[in-house]
Amino acid sequence: MTDKDPKGIIRYTYKFSFDDGAEKQFEIALDGETLDLLETNDQPKPEWTRLKFSQCENCPLPESVEYCPIAVNLSKLVDAFEAHASYEAAVVTVETAQRTYLKKTTLQKGLSAIIGIYMSTSNCPVMDDLRPMTRFHLPFANSIETFFRSISSYLTAQFLLMKRGKEPDWELTGLREIYKAVNLVNKGMSQRLLDASEKDANVNAVVILHSFGDGISYFIDSGLVEIEPMFNVFLKDIEEPVAKDGVKHAPPSNPS
Amino acid sequence: MNERILVVDDEESLRLSLKFKLKSAGFDVDVATDGEDAVEKLKKKPADVVLLDINMPRMSGIEALNYIRQTYPKTEAIMLTGFADFSTAIECLKMGARDYLVKPVDTTELVTRVRSLIRSRSSERALQQVQEQYSAVVMNDLIDPLHKIQGMLDQASKLSSDGDAKERKKLLTSARELTNKMEQKLQQLMDLTKEAAKSAVAGDSELDQILLAEQPRSIREDQE
Repeated sequence: MTDKDPKGIIRYTYKFSFDDGAEKQFEIALDGETLDLLETNDQPKPEWTRLKFSQCENCPLPESVEYCPIAVNLSKLVDAFEAHASYEAAVVTVETAQRTYLKKTTLQKGLSAIIGIYMSTSNCPVMDDLRPMTRFHLPFANSIETFFRSISSYLTAQFLLMKRGKEPDWELTGLREIYKAVNLVNKGMSQRLLDASEKDANVNAVVILHSFGDGISYFIDSGLVEIEPMFNVFLKDIEEPVAKDGVKHAPPSNPS
Repeated sequence: MNERILVVDDEESLRLSLKFKLKSAGFDVDVATDGEDAVEKLKKKPADVVLLDINMPRMSGIEALNYIRQTYPKTEAIMLTGFADFSTAIECLKMGARDYLVKPVDTTELVTRVRSLIRSRSSERALQQVQEQYSAVVMNDLIDPLHKIQGMLDQASKLSSDGDAKERKKLLTSARELTNKMEQKLQQLMDLTKEAAKSAVAGDSELDQILLAEQPRSIREDQE
Protein backbone atom coordinates (compact mmCIF):
# COMPACT_ATOMS: atom_id res chain seq x y z
CA MET A 1 0.00 0.00 0.00
CA THR A 2 1.28 3.42 -0.90
CA ASP A 3 0.95 4.97 2.53
CA LYS A 4 4.03 3.06 3.68
CA ASP A 5 7.57 4.20 3.14
CA PRO A 6 10.00 1.99 1.16
CA LYS A 7 10.68 -0.03 4.32
CA GLY A 8 6.98 -0.82 4.73
CA ILE A 9 6.58 1.54 7.68
CA ILE A 10 3.56 3.78 8.29
CA ARG A 11 4.66 7.13 9.65
CA TYR A 12 2.76 9.95 11.33
CA THR A 13 4.61 13.14 12.19
CA TYR A 14 2.81 15.37 14.69
CA LYS A 15 4.07 18.92 15.06
CA PHE A 16 2.63 21.28 17.70
CA SER A 17 3.36 24.99 17.10
CA PHE A 18 2.49 27.49 19.82
CA ASP A 19 1.78 31.22 19.73
CA ASP A 20 5.10 31.99 21.45
CA GLY A 21 7.00 30.29 18.62
CA ALA A 22 7.74 27.08 20.56
CA GLU A 23 7.38 23.81 18.66
CA LYS A 24 7.25 20.18 19.69
CA GLN A 25 7.45 17.31 17.22
CA PHE A 26 6.69 13.60 17.58
CA GLU A 27 7.37 10.86 15.03
CA ILE A 28 5.25 7.73 15.15
CA ALA A 29 6.37 4.71 13.14
CA LEU A 30 4.12 1.67 12.83
CA ASP A 31 4.85 -1.70 11.25
CA GLY A 32 2.86 -1.65 7.99
CA GLU A 33 1.49 -5.17 8.53
CA THR A 34 1.06 -5.65 12.28
CA LEU A 35 0.59 -1.96 13.15
CA ASP A 36 3.01 -2.45 16.04
CA LEU A 37 4.63 0.71 17.31
CA LEU A 38 8.24 0.50 16.18
CA GLU A 39 9.70 3.20 18.36
CA THR A 40 11.47 1.91 21.41
CA ASN A 41 11.48 4.19 24.40
CA ASP A 42 14.93 3.82 25.97
CA GLN A 43 14.40 6.68 28.41
CA PRO A 44 14.21 5.77 32.12
CA LYS A 45 10.62 4.83 32.92
CA PRO A 46 8.96 7.25 35.33
CA GLU A 47 7.30 5.97 38.48
CA TRP A 48 3.80 6.71 37.17
CA THR A 49 4.29 4.16 34.35
CA ARG A 50 4.44 1.22 36.77
CA LEU A 51 1.51 -1.14 36.26
CA LYS A 52 0.48 -0.94 39.90
CA PHE A 53 0.45 2.85 39.85
CA SER A 54 -3.28 3.59 39.40
CA GLN A 55 -3.88 0.29 37.58
CA CYS A 56 -7.05 0.17 35.44
CA GLU A 57 -9.84 -1.76 37.16
CA ASN A 58 -10.16 -4.17 34.20
CA CYS A 59 -6.42 -4.61 33.58
CA PRO A 60 -5.89 -8.17 32.33
CA LEU A 61 -2.09 -8.10 32.64
CA PRO A 62 -0.45 -10.48 35.13
CA GLU A 63 1.40 -9.19 38.19
CA SER A 64 4.69 -10.18 36.56
CA VAL A 65 4.30 -7.23 34.16
CA GLU A 66 6.11 -4.35 35.83
CA TYR A 67 5.07 -1.44 33.63
CA CYS A 68 1.79 -0.41 31.99
CA PRO A 69 2.44 -0.62 28.22
CA ILE A 70 0.21 2.37 27.49
CA ALA A 71 1.90 4.51 30.11
CA VAL A 72 5.33 3.59 28.78
CA ASN A 73 4.24 4.48 25.24
CA LEU A 74 2.87 7.81 26.42
CA SER A 75 5.64 8.81 28.81
CA LYS A 76 7.70 10.94 26.41
CA LEU A 77 4.60 12.76 25.16
CA VAL A 78 3.18 13.23 28.65
CA ASP A 79 6.48 14.56 29.89
CA ALA A 80 6.60 17.08 27.01
CA PHE A 81 3.15 18.47 27.78
CA GLU A 82 2.85 17.97 31.53
CA ALA A 83 2.99 21.72 32.23
CA HIS A 84 0.60 22.70 29.44
CA ALA A 85 -3.05 23.67 29.82
CA SER A 86 -5.62 21.90 27.70
CA TYR A 87 -7.00 25.13 26.21
CA GLU A 88 -3.70 26.46 24.91
CA ALA A 89 -4.04 27.32 21.26
CA ALA A 90 -1.77 25.33 18.96
CA VAL A 91 -1.35 24.80 15.27
CA VAL A 92 -1.11 21.06 14.88
CA THR A 93 0.32 19.65 11.67
CA VAL A 94 0.14 15.94 10.94
CA GLU A 95 2.16 14.56 8.05
CA THR A 96 1.67 11.14 6.54
CA ALA A 97 3.03 9.65 3.33
CA GLN A 98 -0.25 10.54 1.65
CA ARG A 99 -1.18 13.99 2.92
CA THR A 100 -0.69 16.74 5.44
CA TYR A 101 -3.37 17.73 7.94
CA LEU A 102 -3.29 21.13 9.63
CA LYS A 103 -5.58 22.59 12.23
CA LYS A 104 -5.51 25.53 14.56
CA THR A 105 -7.02 23.94 17.59
CA THR A 106 -6.71 23.44 21.32
CA LEU A 107 -3.77 21.45 22.59
CA GLN A 108 -6.09 18.85 24.14
CA LYS A 109 -7.68 18.12 20.76
CA GLY A 110 -4.32 17.68 19.03
CA LEU A 111 -3.02 15.56 21.87
CA SER A 112 -6.08 13.31 21.93
CA ALA A 113 -5.39 12.27 18.33
CA ILE A 114 -1.78 11.28 18.94
CA ILE A 115 -2.55 9.69 22.33
CA GLY A 116 -5.18 7.58 20.58
CA ILE A 117 -2.48 6.08 18.35
CA TYR A 118 -0.08 5.48 21.23
CA MET A 119 -2.79 3.75 23.26
CA SER A 120 -4.12 1.45 20.56
CA THR A 121 -0.65 0.32 19.45
CA SER A 122 0.70 -0.19 22.96
CA ASN A 123 0.03 -3.95 23.18
CA CYS A 124 -2.42 -3.34 26.01
CA PRO A 125 -4.75 -6.34 25.50
CA VAL A 126 -7.85 -4.18 26.01
CA MET A 127 -6.78 -1.61 23.44
CA ASP A 128 -5.68 -4.16 20.82
CA ASP A 129 -9.18 -4.33 19.33
CA LEU A 130 -8.85 -0.71 18.19
CA ARG A 131 -5.52 -1.26 16.48
CA PRO A 132 -6.89 -1.62 12.90
CA MET A 133 -8.26 1.91 13.21
CA THR A 134 -4.76 3.35 13.44
CA ARG A 135 -4.18 2.40 9.81
CA PHE A 136 -7.03 4.76 8.92
CA HIS A 137 -6.08 7.39 11.49
CA LEU A 138 -7.97 10.64 10.97
CA PRO A 139 -6.48 13.53 12.96
CA PHE A 140 -8.95 16.04 14.46
CA ALA A 141 -11.93 13.84 13.61
CA ASN A 142 -15.25 14.81 15.13
CA SER A 143 -17.44 12.30 16.97
CA ILE A 144 -19.52 11.14 14.02
CA GLU A 145 -16.39 10.61 11.88
CA THR A 146 -14.80 8.62 14.67
CA PHE A 147 -17.95 6.54 15.23
CA PHE A 148 -18.14 5.81 11.52
CA ARG A 149 -14.48 4.80 11.32
CA SER A 150 -14.86 2.64 14.38
CA ILE A 151 -18.01 0.90 13.18
CA SER A 152 -16.55 0.43 9.70
CA SER A 153 -13.44 -1.12 11.16
CA TYR A 154 -15.48 -3.49 13.34
CA LEU A 155 -17.81 -4.48 10.49
CA THR A 156 -14.79 -5.18 8.27
CA ALA A 157 -13.51 -7.51 10.97
CA GLN A 158 -16.92 -9.24 11.06
CA PHE A 159 -16.86 -9.68 7.29
CA LEU A 160 -13.41 -11.24 7.50
CA LEU A 161 -14.60 -13.52 10.33
CA MET A 162 -17.58 -14.56 8.22
CA LYS A 163 -15.26 -15.41 5.34
CA ARG A 164 -13.47 -17.76 7.71
CA GLY A 165 -16.71 -19.48 8.66
CA LYS A 166 -17.35 -17.63 11.93
CA GLU A 167 -20.63 -16.08 13.01
CA PRO A 168 -20.43 -12.32 12.32
CA ASP A 169 -21.75 -9.79 14.83
CA TRP A 170 -23.77 -7.43 12.65
CA GLU A 171 -25.63 -6.11 15.72
CA LEU A 172 -22.38 -4.50 16.93
CA THR A 173 -22.87 -6.07 20.35
CA GLY A 174 -19.17 -6.85 20.56
CA LEU A 175 -18.24 -3.29 19.65
CA ARG A 176 -20.24 -1.96 22.59
CA GLU A 177 -18.38 -4.38 24.84
CA ILE A 178 -15.04 -3.32 23.38
CA TYR A 179 -15.72 0.33 24.15
CA LYS A 180 -17.02 -0.48 27.62
CA ALA A 181 -13.66 -2.06 28.37
CA VAL A 182 -11.71 0.65 26.51
CA ASN A 183 -13.44 3.32 28.57
CA LEU A 184 -12.36 1.68 31.80
CA VAL A 185 -8.83 1.96 30.46
CA ASN A 186 -9.42 5.60 29.47
CA LYS A 187 -10.69 6.26 32.97
CA GLY A 188 -7.71 4.51 34.57
CA MET A 189 -5.31 6.33 32.27
CA SER A 190 -6.80 9.74 32.99
CA GLN A 191 -6.33 9.07 36.70
CA ARG A 192 -2.75 8.01 36.07
CA LEU A 193 -2.05 11.13 33.99
CA LEU A 194 -3.67 13.30 36.62
CA ASP A 195 -0.96 12.18 39.01
CA ALA A 196 1.76 12.53 36.37
CA SER A 197 0.93 16.03 35.10
CA GLU A 198 1.10 19.48 36.60
CA LYS A 199 -1.58 20.86 34.26
CA ASP A 200 -4.54 19.37 32.45
CA ALA A 201 -3.62 19.03 28.74
CA ASN A 202 -2.72 15.34 28.93
CA VAL A 203 -5.67 14.39 31.11
CA ASN A 204 -8.21 16.22 29.01
CA ALA A 205 -6.85 14.64 25.84
CA VAL A 206 -7.77 11.25 27.34
CA VAL A 207 -11.10 12.68 28.52
CA ILE A 208 -11.90 13.40 24.85
CA LEU A 209 -11.14 9.78 23.96
CA HIS A 210 -13.35 8.69 26.85
CA SER A 211 -16.20 10.83 25.47
CA PHE A 212 -15.87 9.12 22.09
CA GLY A 213 -16.05 5.78 23.88
CA ASP A 214 -19.17 6.84 25.76
CA GLY A 215 -20.80 8.36 22.71
CA ILE A 216 -20.41 5.38 20.44
CA SER A 217 -22.51 3.12 22.67
CA TYR A 218 -25.41 5.58 22.56
CA PHE A 219 -24.82 6.06 18.85
CA ILE A 220 -25.18 2.31 18.29
CA ASP A 221 -28.15 2.10 20.67
CA SER A 222 -29.90 4.84 18.69
CA GLY A 223 -29.65 2.64 15.59
CA LEU A 224 -27.19 5.03 13.89
CA VAL A 225 -30.06 7.42 13.21
CA GLU A 226 -27.65 10.35 12.99
CA ILE A 227 -26.11 9.04 9.79
CA GLU A 228 -28.99 6.95 8.47
CA PRO A 229 -30.20 9.59 5.97
CA MET A 230 -26.80 9.52 4.28
CA PHE A 231 -27.51 5.93 3.30
CA ASN A 232 -30.90 6.64 1.75
CA VAL A 233 -29.61 5.54 -1.62
CA PHE A 234 -29.55 1.99 -0.20
CA LEU A 235 -32.62 2.35 1.99
CA LYS A 236 -35.15 4.27 -0.10
CA ASP A 237 -37.31 1.28 -1.10
CA ILE A 238 -37.22 -0.37 2.31
CA GLU A 239 -39.65 0.37 5.12
CA GLU A 240 -38.30 2.11 8.21
CA PRO A 241 -36.91 -0.33 10.76
CA VAL A 242 -38.99 -0.97 13.83
CA ALA A 243 -37.07 -0.99 17.11
CA LYS A 244 -37.38 -3.80 19.62
CA ASP A 245 -39.91 -1.77 21.61
CA GLY A 246 -42.09 -1.56 18.52
CA VAL A 247 -41.45 2.13 17.96
CA LYS A 248 -40.21 3.49 14.65
CA HIS A 249 -37.02 5.53 14.85
CA ALA A 250 -37.50 9.26 15.05
CA PRO A 251 -35.76 11.38 12.44
CA PRO A 252 -32.28 12.37 13.55
CA SER A 253 -31.57 15.68 15.20
CA ASN A 254 -28.48 17.82 14.83
CA PRO A 255 -25.78 15.98 16.78
CA SER A 256 -23.67 18.92 17.89
CA MET B 1 -43.07 17.94 30.04
CA ASN B 2 -39.49 16.67 30.24
CA GLU B 3 -36.96 18.66 32.21
CA ARG B 4 -34.69 20.68 30.00
CA ILE B 5 -30.92 20.29 30.36
CA LEU B 6 -28.34 22.53 28.69
CA VAL B 7 -24.90 20.95 28.22
CA VAL B 8 -22.15 23.56 27.90
CA ASP B 9 -18.70 22.37 26.87
CA ASP B 10 -16.33 23.48 24.14
CA GLU B 11 -15.39 19.88 23.33
CA GLU B 12 -17.70 18.39 20.73
CA SER B 13 -17.23 14.75 21.74
CA LEU B 14 -18.19 15.50 25.33
CA ARG B 15 -21.23 17.54 24.33
CA LEU B 16 -22.40 14.73 22.10
CA SER B 17 -21.85 11.88 24.56
CA LEU B 18 -23.62 13.76 27.37
CA LYS B 19 -26.44 14.74 25.04
CA PHE B 20 -26.92 11.12 23.93
CA LYS B 21 -26.90 9.84 27.49
CA LEU B 22 -29.26 12.47 28.92
CA LYS B 23 -31.65 12.13 25.99
CA SER B 24 -31.77 8.38 26.46
CA ALA B 25 -32.58 9.05 30.14
CA GLY B 26 -35.64 11.02 29.02
CA PHE B 27 -34.46 14.63 29.31
CA ASP B 28 -34.95 17.37 26.76
CA VAL B 29 -31.33 18.27 25.94
CA ASP B 30 -29.71 21.20 24.19
CA VAL B 31 -26.00 21.98 23.84
CA ALA B 32 -23.86 25.11 23.84
CA THR B 33 -20.22 25.48 22.82
CA ASP B 34 -19.17 27.98 25.51
CA GLY B 35 -20.51 30.43 28.11
CA GLU B 36 -21.61 33.04 25.57
CA ASP B 37 -23.44 30.46 23.50
CA ALA B 38 -25.09 29.17 26.71
CA VAL B 39 -26.36 32.67 27.55
CA GLU B 40 -27.84 33.00 24.06
CA LYS B 41 -29.52 29.57 24.33
CA LEU B 42 -30.96 30.42 27.76
CA LYS B 43 -32.38 33.70 26.44
CA LYS B 44 -34.29 31.73 23.82
CA LYS B 45 -35.41 28.95 26.13
CA PRO B 46 -34.62 28.61 29.86
CA ALA B 47 -33.29 25.33 31.22
CA ASP B 48 -33.97 23.47 34.45
CA VAL B 49 -30.35 22.37 34.80
CA VAL B 50 -27.15 23.59 33.13
CA LEU B 51 -24.09 21.37 32.96
CA LEU B 52 -21.19 23.80 32.79
CA ASP B 53 -17.59 23.07 31.91
CA ILE B 54 -15.32 25.29 34.00
CA ASN B 55 -12.57 25.95 31.45
CA MET B 56 -13.94 27.33 28.22
CA PRO B 57 -12.86 30.02 25.77
CA ARG B 58 -14.70 33.36 25.44
CA MET B 59 -16.91 33.17 28.57
CA SER B 60 -15.62 30.68 31.16
CA GLY B 61 -17.87 28.37 33.15
CA ILE B 62 -17.40 30.52 36.26
CA GLU B 63 -18.46 33.69 34.44
CA ALA B 64 -21.42 31.86 32.93
CA LEU B 65 -22.38 30.49 36.35
CA ASN B 66 -22.35 33.99 37.80
CA TYR B 67 -24.59 35.27 35.00
CA ILE B 68 -26.99 32.33 35.26
CA ARG B 69 -27.36 32.63 39.05
CA GLN B 70 -28.23 36.30 38.70
CA THR B 71 -30.46 36.08 35.63
CA TYR B 72 -32.07 32.66 35.96
CA PRO B 73 -32.20 31.86 39.70
CA LYS B 74 -34.48 28.89 39.07
CA THR B 75 -31.90 27.24 36.78
CA GLU B 76 -29.59 24.89 38.67
CA ALA B 77 -25.96 24.39 37.67
CA ILE B 78 -23.70 21.36 37.84
CA MET B 79 -20.05 22.11 37.07
CA LEU B 80 -17.81 19.85 34.99
CA THR B 81 -14.12 20.08 35.68
CA GLY B 82 -11.52 18.48 33.46
CA PHE B 83 -8.91 18.44 36.14
CA ALA B 84 -9.47 17.52 39.75
CA ASP B 85 -9.40 21.19 40.63
CA PHE B 86 -11.34 20.97 43.86
CA SER B 87 -10.64 24.56 44.91
CA THR B 88 -12.31 25.90 41.74
CA ALA B 89 -15.17 23.45 42.13
CA ILE B 90 -15.71 24.57 45.72
CA GLU B 91 -15.59 28.21 44.64
CA CYS B 92 -18.36 27.36 42.15
CA LEU B 93 -20.42 25.70 44.89
CA LYS B 94 -20.06 28.88 46.96
CA MET B 95 -21.27 30.87 43.95
CA GLY B 96 -24.43 28.78 43.79
CA ALA B 97 -23.60 25.72 41.68
CA ARG B 98 -25.40 22.73 43.15
CA ASP B 99 -22.87 20.03 42.34
CA TYR B 100 -19.74 19.24 40.37
CA LEU B 101 -18.38 16.25 38.47
CA VAL B 102 -14.80 15.48 37.52
CA LYS B 103 -14.09 14.44 33.93
CA PRO B 104 -14.11 11.84 32.55
CA VAL B 105 -17.71 11.99 33.60
CA ASP B 106 -19.38 8.75 34.64
CA THR B 107 -22.55 9.30 32.62
CA THR B 108 -24.66 6.96 34.76
CA GLU B 109 -23.65 8.92 37.84
CA LEU B 110 -24.39 12.14 35.99
CA VAL B 111 -27.96 11.05 35.24
CA THR B 112 -28.41 10.02 38.88
CA ARG B 113 -27.17 13.40 40.09
CA VAL B 114 -29.31 15.36 37.61
CA ARG B 115 -32.40 13.39 38.64
CA SER B 116 -31.60 13.87 42.30
CA LEU B 117 -31.09 17.61 41.78
CA ILE B 118 -34.41 17.94 39.96
CA ARG B 119 -36.15 15.93 42.71
CA SER B 120 -34.67 18.03 45.48
CA ARG B 121 -35.54 21.20 43.57
CA SER B 122 -39.18 20.06 43.35
CA SER B 123 -39.14 19.23 47.04
CA GLU B 124 -37.67 22.62 47.91
CA ARG B 125 -40.35 24.35 45.90
CA ALA B 126 -43.07 22.26 47.51
CA LEU B 127 -41.68 23.04 50.96
CA GLN B 128 -41.53 26.72 50.11
CA GLN B 129 -45.21 26.52 49.16
CA VAL B 130 -45.95 24.76 52.45
CA GLN B 131 -44.18 27.51 54.35
CA GLU B 132 -46.09 30.21 52.46
CA GLN B 133 -49.42 28.49 53.09
CA TYR B 134 -48.72 27.97 56.78
CA SER B 135 -47.65 31.60 57.15
CA ALA B 136 -50.92 32.64 55.52
CA VAL B 137 -52.91 30.55 58.02
CA VAL B 138 -50.98 31.93 60.98
CA MET B 139 -51.30 35.51 59.76
CA ASN B 140 -54.91 35.53 58.54
CA ASP B 141 -56.56 32.97 60.79
CA LEU B 142 -54.67 33.47 64.03
CA ILE B 143 -52.88 36.80 64.30
CA ASP B 144 -55.61 38.90 62.65
CA PRO B 145 -58.42 37.43 64.85
CA LEU B 146 -56.14 37.85 67.88
CA HIS B 147 -55.79 41.55 67.10
CA LYS B 148 -59.58 41.77 66.76
CA ILE B 149 -60.03 40.11 70.16
CA GLN B 150 -57.52 42.49 71.74
CA GLY B 151 -59.47 45.41 70.26
CA MET B 152 -62.76 44.01 71.60
CA LEU B 153 -61.31 43.52 75.08
CA ASP B 154 -59.86 47.04 75.07
CA GLN B 155 -63.25 48.37 74.04
CA ALA B 156 -65.06 46.30 76.69
CA SER B 157 -62.70 47.48 79.42
CA LYS B 158 -63.52 51.10 78.60
CA LEU B 159 -67.26 50.56 79.01
CA SER B 160 -68.77 51.54 82.39
CA SER B 161 -69.75 48.50 84.37
CA ASP B 162 -73.40 49.54 84.82
CA GLY B 163 -74.70 51.29 81.77
CA ASP B 164 -73.08 49.29 78.95
CA ALA B 165 -73.65 45.74 80.14
CA LYS B 166 -75.44 44.79 76.91
CA GLU B 167 -72.70 46.16 74.70
CA ARG B 168 -69.99 44.54 76.87
CA LYS B 169 -71.77 41.15 76.61
CA LYS B 170 -71.94 41.50 72.82
CA LEU B 171 -68.22 42.24 72.59
CA LEU B 172 -67.29 39.35 74.87
CA THR B 173 -69.53 36.97 72.94
CA SER B 174 -67.88 37.98 69.66
CA ALA B 175 -64.46 37.57 71.23
CA ARG B 176 -65.45 34.17 72.51
CA GLU B 177 -66.63 33.10 69.04
CA LEU B 178 -63.33 34.22 67.56
CA THR B 179 -61.34 32.26 70.15
CA ASN B 180 -63.42 29.18 69.33
CA LYS B 181 -62.54 29.51 65.66
CA MET B 182 -58.90 30.07 66.51
CA GLU B 183 -58.87 26.99 68.71
CA GLN B 184 -60.32 24.98 65.83
CA LYS B 185 -57.63 26.29 63.43
CA LEU B 186 -54.88 25.60 65.94
CA GLN B 187 -56.16 22.04 66.37
CA GLN B 188 -56.13 21.55 62.58
CA LEU B 189 -52.61 22.93 62.37
CA MET B 190 -51.50 20.61 65.19
CA ASP B 191 -52.95 17.63 63.31
CA LEU B 192 -51.17 18.70 60.11
CA THR B 193 -47.85 19.12 61.94
CA LYS B 194 -48.19 15.58 63.32
CA GLU B 195 -48.88 14.26 59.80
CA ALA B 196 -45.93 16.20 58.39
CA ALA B 197 -43.64 14.73 61.04
CA LYS B 198 -44.91 11.21 60.28
CA SER B 199 -44.39 11.82 56.56
CA ALA B 200 -40.84 13.05 57.13
CA VAL B 201 -39.96 10.01 59.28
CA ALA B 202 -41.35 7.65 56.63
CA GLY B 203 -39.38 9.49 53.90
CA ASP B 204 -42.51 10.04 51.88
CA SER B 205 -42.41 11.43 48.39
CA GLU B 206 -42.74 14.95 47.14
CA LEU B 207 -46.42 14.18 46.49
CA ASP B 208 -46.96 14.19 50.25
CA GLN B 209 -45.19 17.50 50.49
CA ILE B 210 -47.49 18.93 47.85
CA LEU B 211 -50.50 17.57 49.75
CA LEU B 212 -49.16 19.19 52.91
CA ALA B 213 -48.96 22.44 51.00
CA GLU B 214 -52.58 22.05 49.94
CA GLN B 215 -53.93 21.33 53.45
CA PRO B 216 -53.33 24.78 54.97
CA ARG B 217 -55.13 26.17 51.95
CA SER B 218 -58.08 23.88 52.73
CA ILE B 219 -58.06 25.11 56.36
CA ARG B 220 -58.43 28.63 55.07
CA GLU B 221 -61.15 27.65 52.61
CA ASP B 222 -63.10 25.87 55.43
CA GLN B 223 -63.33 29.16 57.19
CA GLU B 224 -64.32 31.13 54.10
